[in-house]
Amino acid sequence: MITNISFLLNGDEISYDVKDHWTLLHLLREEMGLIGTKEGCGNGECGACTVIVDKLAVNSCLYLAVEADKKTIETIEGLASTEGSLHPLQQSFVDNGGIQCGFCSPGMIMSSKALLDENPDADREEIKHALAGNICRCTGYIQIFESVEAAKEMGGHDE
Amino acid sequence: MKEFKYLSPTSVEEAIDFHGQHSETARYIGGGTDVIVKLKDGWMEPDFLISLKKIQEMSELHKNNATGELSIGAMVTHATLEKSLMIQNEYPIIYDAVSNIGSLQVRNVGTIGGNLINAVPSADGAIPLIALDGMALLHGPDGERSAEVKDLFIAPYKTILKPGEILKKITIQPQAPHTGSAYIKFGRRAAMELPLIGIGVLLSLDDDLQTCTKARICLGVAGPIPIRAFDAEKLLAGKKINEEILIEAGKIAADESKVRDSVRGKAWHRKEMIRVQVKRMGLKCLEIIKDKN
Amino acid sequence: MNNYNSEFSVVGKPIPKLDAAQKAMGRAEYIQDIKMPGMLYGKILYSRYAHARIIKIDTSKAKALAGVHAVLTGEDVPGKMKMGFIKDNPPIKKGTVSSFRDEVAAVAAISPEIAKKALDLIEIEYEELKGIFDPEKAMEKDSPLVHEHLKSNVLKMPWNIHYGDVEKAEKESAFVVEDRFTTTWVTHCCMGTSGAVALFDASENLTIYTNTQIPSLAHKDFLEALKSMGLENKRVRVIKPVIGGGFGSKLDTYAYEHIAILLAYKCRKPVKIVFDRVEEFKATSTRQPTVIYIKQGCDKNGKLTFRDMRMVLDNGGHTSWGATTPSVMLMPISSLYRVENVKYNAKCVYTNNTYSQAMRGYGNPQATFAIESSMDILAKKAGFDRIEFRKINKNQSGDETPQGLKITSCGLEECIDAVKEELKFDGKNEKSVGTGIASLIHVGGGARIYGSDGCGAILKMDDYGKVDIFTGGTDMGQGLDNITAQIVAEELGLLAEDINVVHSDTDICPWDVGAHASRSTFVAGNAALGAAKKVKKKIQAFASKLFDVPAQEIELKNKLVFVPGDEEKSMPIGKLLRKAHFRPGGTMLMAEHFYDPDNQNMGKELKGNMSMTYSFGAHGAKVKVDEETGKVEVLEYVAAHDVGRAINPMLLEGQVYGGVVMGLGYALTEEVTVKDGEIMNANFRDYKLFTAKDAVKIKAPVIETDDKDGPFGAKGIGEPGCVPTAPAIANAIYDAVGVRIKDLPITPEKVLAALKEKNG
Ligand SMILES: Cc1cc2nc3c(=O)[nH]c(=O)nc-3n(C[C@H](O)[C@H](O)[C@H](O)COP(=O)(O)OP(=O)(O)OC[C@H]3O[C@@H](n4cnc5c(N)ncnc54)[C@H](O)[C@@H]3O)c2cc1C
Ligand code: FES
Ligand code: FES
Repeated sequence: MITNISFLLNGDEISYDVKDHWTLLHLLREEMGLIGTKEGCGNGECGACTVIVDKLAVNSCLYLAVEADKKTIETIEGLASTEGSLHPLQQSFVDNGGIQCGFCSPGMIMSSKALLDENPDADREEIKHALAGNICRCTGYIQIFESVEAAKEMGGHDE
Repeated sequence: MKEFKYLSPTSVEEAIDFHGQHSETARYIGGGTDVIVKLKDGWMEPDFLISLKKIQEMSELHKNNATGELSIGAMVTHATLEKSLMIQNEYPIIYDAVSNIGSLQVRNVGTIGGNLINAVPSADGAIPLIALDGMALLHGPDGERSAEVKDLFIAPYKTILKPGEILKKITIQPQAPHTGSAYIKFGRRAAMELPLIGIGVLLSLDDDLQTCTKARICLGVAGPIPIRAFDAEKLLAGKKINEEILIEAGKIAADESKVRDSVRGKAWHRKEMIRVQVKRMGLKCLEIIKDKN
Repeated sequence: MNNYNSEFSVVGKPIPKLDAAQKAMGRAEYIQDIKMPGMLYGKILYSRYAHARIIKIDTSKAKALAGVHAVLTGEDVPGKMKMGFIKDNPPIKKGTVSSFRDEVAAVAAISPEIAKKALDLIEIEYEELKGIFDPEKAMEKDSPLVHEHLKSNVLKMPWNIHYGDVEKAEKESAFVVEDRFTTTWVTHCCMGTSGAVALFDASENLTIYTNTQIPSLAHKDFLEALKSMGLENKRVRVIKPVIGGGFGSKLDTYAYEHIAILLAYKCRKPVKIVFDRVEEFKATSTRQPTVIYIKQGCDKNGKLTFRDMRMVLDNGGHTSWGATTPSVMLMPISSLYRVENVKYNAKCVYTNNTYSQAMRGYGNPQATFAIESSMDILAKKAGFDRIEFRKINKNQSGDETPQGLKITSCGLEECIDAVKEELKFDGKNEKSVGTGIASLIHVGGGARIYGSDGCGAILKMDDYGKVDIFTGGTDMGQGLDNITAQIVAEELGLLAEDINVVHSDTDICPWDVGAHASRSTFVAGNAALGAAKKVKKKIQAFASKLFDVPAQEIELKNKLVFVPGDEEKSMPIGKLLRKAHFRPGGTMLMAEHFYDPDNQNMGKELKGNMSMTYSFGAHGAKVKVDEETGKVEVLEYVAAHDVGRAINPMLLEGQVYGGVVMGLGYALTEEVTVKDGEIMNANFRDYKLFTAKDAVKIKAPVIETDDKDGPFGAKGIGEPGCVPTAPAIANAIYDAVGVRIKDLPITPEKVLAALKEKNG
């Protein structure tokens, strides 16, 4: 019940022996120590665990690690450049009050990234639609929308 | 979560074969948005999980230009349907339903097939496919067979699928020229909502753009399985469609429903919502038809 | 929209939250993220009944499971280890259980999975007892008793207050209205669930990582816990990881913390307990459900004559600090608007439901829902415009309310005007659209609930002009770190980024009563300011010798120490600090300050100025009601607040937006559904928080009244954002369609039922 998978994680080629019943969230957090991806519910209902799999935002708590085989995975740890400068989305969440307690932030930022990568001109309604699965208890969302909109201006998306 | 072995066949036959080898202890998994929740809760404890993800043909969405038949592979995700311009333009009722399922994250992996086979009364995806007279193509150890989508459901979490059977795809025949369809999920929130009630209406009109040649009124969470309001449909058939008659149809549909009180909502209110929303969705159908002419 | 004061360099600026980048990169460590060598995982077993006697517990199978290090039951808990306001609640129960959330056993194992399996192996035999779930019924004579030995379900902690003469005032009133309102359970839903990691060192000193809002009080509770375990004279160190949301949920110490301590001691290994989401819903405390009876009246000029309120609070199975919320409810009851004659009676009643605790507003949202709904009802009866009626009765600077609250700065009228300006209230709405307003008063300058309302700060400067400030205050996302840094930077002429705020460790941070009552900006802010002032004095004194000018002529700005107008006499602060340090008899610049506001404990008569100042605000909502479905859509929302001074406008707006949306959930969608004591919707699909798609347009006008006692004039704003939301919505619904909903949340079902009743 162990499967060897290989996948691209934040640009690094990874080969890993995973147990078939592990979720991707478990692999990232508990096995690989990538604590940036959060668990808020474990049931697909809060978005805190959002990562990007082959350009799509998914809840890593409802995604089996074995299914990451041959996929490209992006997590919050992969966003900042190696020199340490923040990704435009991260920077604009910081600058615009998009982060309070911060527990929702990695998931929120990953959902925003998937959105802007696909639709760099997303308007407020499209942003709301794309972030509807990311619950934030602190901000009331307004400054999060403003953060995503500001990132748009900064070119917060992959070419 | 209990440990299991994950298998990923690349063809339907292989999948059925795997299932045959481990029948009692094997389960299919599509996108997994229902399965994984059940695995975590211990509701489902398979030794083998057979994934349908690698079966190419099951993920295909296409419309046959010659016959006009729409074919939706069971593994097509809600997001794929939502983003398809063809679906948006020609099958608004599907778009209405799938674009509000859970969250984008859920729609990116959750499949239409999984939605049907999971068979909860609140399955958003079932209603439009029933309204569109969808046919389900099943493939099992004994070969292929097909069934109307409306006949798939037996009880909550229970379908007519036999052990090892796979839902391969859903096909939909071309609609009559003046057809409009719409779906609404009524809930307290704007997203991440299981419907308190889900209502889909499809109307086809004659060339006079008034007389109803076909009516489908489908209700979710109005009973243990998704249902059609046959009496209400009957009322509309052959009649000139206007607000009054739609109000009447709403009343009949509400009476036909088998809504219940639950933690999520009260029966009387669900009935009211059927009444109101059947009318509103009917009117929306008329508008769609008008816009196309 | 808002014009903020610009006389300052750092205060009043929208400086990003200091830890935001760390959080944006996913590097912030929450309790969930802590791992230690040899760490075990603890899990808790809860009661299977709302009310039952435990006949027998068999833990042998659980103990025998490989990987299990310890199994605890009520028998293993020292008799003196108790929690809650009257210490009536042991962390693991024995004998009887009085709610589903009652802890009955706990295990520690090498993995969470094994720990869970072990729980399943614990066999418990119960004898189910009759439960009681309605607090009003629980007050009846023949009701089943939650705690037999107490002989009554009514808590012996009566709240009975009478200021002035209500009977007489009622007789003399021209108009009187009387209504009953109810509010239900809602819960904090912090995105980061609760948890703790406890470990003992070789000398049996305890270190506990826990996401508490009250590090110093928790420190005391845990010292007592150790004492009950026979560990006298040991040390306790409380370390707060980054907190994934507080909102009042972490204002007490809880069973999971005590259990983690017991398990860690028994195993002599670090033990981590972190709640999953279901547990977070079921085993953390809610906001108090209340039944509220309100009667108030006015004279023919619209002046309020009296207010008479009676409440029944569901106390749940155990008495927590929640039983003291009437003390805060009293504040709006006695002092929201001028009203001389006030009566308030509250009873906390034991039931077999979950017990409640502090939640943003601490009783104020419930009381204000009734008061402000009733204000509209009364205004209508007396024939006054709703806005006018509120202005006639507005609080004003210089007032002393019947409760003895001394109103210093007061921007209530400006807030009401700001709401009116945005939403007009001209009655010219389209069909089914309406506007509503509701105001608020809240403590804004501390709240003396304990003997001390103080907070300490220790400040040290290095040789380069950088500051470390150790504060007792707690940041749980609301931004106290920034407030502290901005205040200190302003005072010392530095940048916010020069200030390192340390608030996470009781070993190094001074005492503070806790992050409650919207007090942190005011109290922790003043503590930091006090320390900064002392250091500034020292800098000035040293520079005075250096420059040979009187100390008071020396200014600090832009990292320079200088004499204005004299270019010769200017020096980068780092250089000055090194000059002070590296010389014979040198010194480093440090200071400490303990700030305890000059507010009063309410004595026996429940009178006294509990806070140094009060925050005011007014909220306005414009809603559209779907008259066929009962669904309410919020079209526009205005939340105007008198905040004294906006130390950081961006964070301030964030507090308001977040508070409003939490309040909107309270008004419209959120409710913990409880059936015979059992929580039926312990997940985010059925407990309906607003999603991004539900988010509404909110305007947040800020009124700066420059409070004389606040740090740079600031008052607290943590809670007010969610206080008057529900009545603003209820009042708007009435305006839109003429139905008055008196029970929260205002669901489509309730609105439609009311519409049907009205239209016959
Ligand atoms: C947070 C959240 C929100 C949700 N919101 C909604 C919502 O708003 N509306 C809604 O309708 N649903 C909702 N769902 C449920 C779920 O996402 C959908 O039902 C989804 O479409 C299921 O598809 P899946 O591919 O993930 O199914 P899976 O979980 O993979 O499978 C579901 C069931 O179908 C079986 N199965 C799957 N595919 C096949 C096949 N081709 N042939 C035979 N058997 C098959 C599986 O064995 C399993 O029993 C939500 C789920 C989550 C977690
Ligand atoms: S943790 Fe995955 S959605 Fe909540
Ligand atoms: S910032 Fe706390 S949950 Fe979003």
